[in-house]
Amino acid sequence: MKKNKLWIPVFLAPACILFLLIYAVPLVLVFITSFFDYRLMPNRFTFIGLDNYIQLLTSDPVFAEAFRNTVVWIAIHCTVHVFIGTLLAFILYKKPRGWKFVRVSYMIPNIISQSAIAMIFLNLFNPQYGVINSLLGAVGLESFQHNWLFERATAFPSVTMTWLLFAGYTTTLVLAEALSVDESLIEAARVDGASSFQIDLFIMFPMVKKMIGTTVIMAATYMLQLFSLIYITTGGGPQTATTNLPLMLYQTAMKENNYGYANTIGVFIIIVGMITMVIINKAFKMNESDY
Amino acid sequence: MKKRLLALLMAMTLGAGCLTGCGRKPAADGNQASGGDTAAGGEVVINYPTFQIGVNTAAPVVAQLVQEFNEQYKGKYKIVIEEIPGDANYLEKMKVMISGGELPPVVYGGGYKVLDLALAKDLVVDLTDYVNQDADWKANYNEQALAVNSRDGKIYASSSELQLVGYFYNKELYAKAGIDKPAETWDEFFADCDKLLAAGITPLSMDTGDGAWCTQLLMGAMIATSGEEGLKFMETSQPTDYNLKAVTDAAAKIQQAFAKYTTKDAVGGVYENAANNFFSENTAMICNGPWMIGDFSDTTKTDEGFADKIGCAVYPGPFVYYAPLEGFFVTKQDDPKLVEASVEMVKFFTSTHAQQLALETQGMLPASPQVEVTDQAKQKFPLLADFLVMANEVETRSNDFTSNMFPNVTDVISQQMPALATGDITPEQFAQALTDAAAKNQ
Repeated sequence: MKKNKLWIPVFLAPACILFLLIYAVPLVLVFITSFFDYRLMPNRFTFIGLDNYIQLLTSDPVFAEAFRNTVVWIAIHCTVHVFIGTLLAFILYKKPRGWKFVRVSYMIPNIISQSAIAMIFLNLFNPQYGVINSLLGAVGLESFQHNWLFERATAFPSVTMTWLLFAGYTTTLVLAEALSVDESLIEAARVDGASSFQIDLFIMFPMVKKMIGTTVIMAATYMLQLFSLIYITTGGGPQTATTNLPLMLYQTAMKENNYGYANTIGVFIIIVGMITMVIINKAFKMNESDY
Repeated sequence: MKKRLLALLMAMTLGAGCLTGCGRKPAADGNQASGGDTAAGGEVVINYPTFQIGVNTAAPVVAQLVQEFNEQYKGKYKIVIEEIPGDANYLEKMKVMISGGELPPVVYGGGYKVLDLALAKDLVVDLTDYVNQDADWKANYNEQALAVNSRDGKIYASSSELQLVGYFYNKELYAKAGIDKPAETWDEFFADCDKLLAAGITPLSMDTGDGAWCTQLLMGAMIATSGEEGLKFMETSQPTDYNLKAVTDAAAKIQQAFAKYTTKDAVGGVYENAANNFFSENTAMICNGPWMIGDFSDTTKTDEGFADKIGCAVYPGPFVYYAPLEGFFVTKQDDPKLVEASVEMVKFFTSTHAQQLALETQGMLPASPQVEVTDQAKQKFPLLADFLVMANEVETRSNDFTSNMFPNVTDVISQQMPALATGDITPEQFAQALTDAAAKNQ
């Protein structure tokens, strides 16, 4: 047994080397260069200490809005989106008629590429020929017609709608967990006179809580990576109404060629991600055993 | 023992698998995919990434030039095309490669402002001696072409195209509205817009996405014709202050145009939306260059006979956009043979033959003063011939509004223009937003 243990590091080594090369080294470089005025045009690489961080946190209005948007989207995704997915899973685990069809069809939007989803919504929300305005016009609600993605008042909720309802991953994961719960527990509750709602709340929910926690973590990380949906639909506009931190990072690096400042945003995203993970882990007691 | 051997083999396989992706990926023909290589037979291969493929206007020209080059230099040099769909993807790839300090041997500049970025990283080959030693090549540079392709007295790029831009209008829709000729002043222009509106016709194709190409052409023309200050501004490379009366006045007119004279999908729309509205006769005017002329007779985009309905005009003032596009440049490579091959490619792609071919196949205007617009080209593209006559009479010219900007300001235009259009910000706030964006480059 001891001899076999020698092979563990040998087998782990390739993965560790890959991690070091592909993630760890660039991460360290991102952290180091965040303390530099590092630009491509004009070409500069000067140590400036905490200046990038001070500017980011005290005097950058774009960052303030991008941060607020990111946090609000994380909150909405981790609550409303996960709730919708979980609710559907709780309906489907009882295996109503057609539950397999619903399970599969609800996943479809999640397997379509984000770019395609973005194009679909760009057309749905089109003010001239889009379905939304056409429907509103058909029922006599012309006054509610908007240029949904490009008016400041409607842009943020419209972009939110491009992902809010498609909780296929959450449904699939929670449903898989719910279906693995021992039937005898539910039967026992029924014998004791528990209602369907009570079974869901007091038996099923605690049993799948960890999985819900996992989907909340997935939801939060998804929001910290969300890019192409926003880039293709609104490009972060109008003004900065739909800019989030990843999009701001991209624009700072690729459009402003300000790599030092972009890496500062990158470090901030990592910190936000870590804090979010800690909060979710604590909330769902992810590190504690149920048994 | 066998188990250990098996485990060792598996570990080595895993390790080798990890390292597989670390090297340069060889192309199917055995040549390196990123830059280029010398093949076994001594043929230098130039890997050339380009977006001028598929339905791109310049695709037939590039394909023909690659074929001719490969035939002419058979056994010595060979161009291998790497297809990148879309100019935005191409530009991003170039930027990422510049930041990594590695570019393909030949880069097409084409108005995308990559030359300065590459120069900042010291990646560009100085072409001055090559050009000066070749009389034919040197003769292709006029004053403007030399200015756009040179930095500090050194030639770094070679142009093949000229940007000469006015606007197109639908003669049939004009006639319906009782307009007999394009406007000569901006007051007349907006009076014509009102006449079109009164006739139930949407006057203008506009956009805000992807740098608001059509809209910025209209806005830039207003700025350039507003007076000395405006024209000077339009001739300024990378302006830092947009808080000028010429800019805010033009922004106010653009705001009015969005409110009254354009389609609902203009706010948030991209060039394709604007073009589709013009092609489907939803609008009467679109600002764009002669490269669009070929589309007017393309029945996959427009109805049969659409081209006959279209007229061209210079902007009120009169004013026309006139500037050679930043050209091809060669990048520094470890292999001097690859650099020599790349210089030959750039020379070939910007030769009078190449520019003549582009003109006669696609109606692309040549940057070289040596290339004449032949009768063949005029017959094939009569609209282009008409436009050249008009444009030659115009004395007020400049580069377009966004070409001179810092690259990030173009993006800010796309973010701020919807807010300007919907009245969420004033023209003054719009100008300030552009100034703030420009300041980020200091």
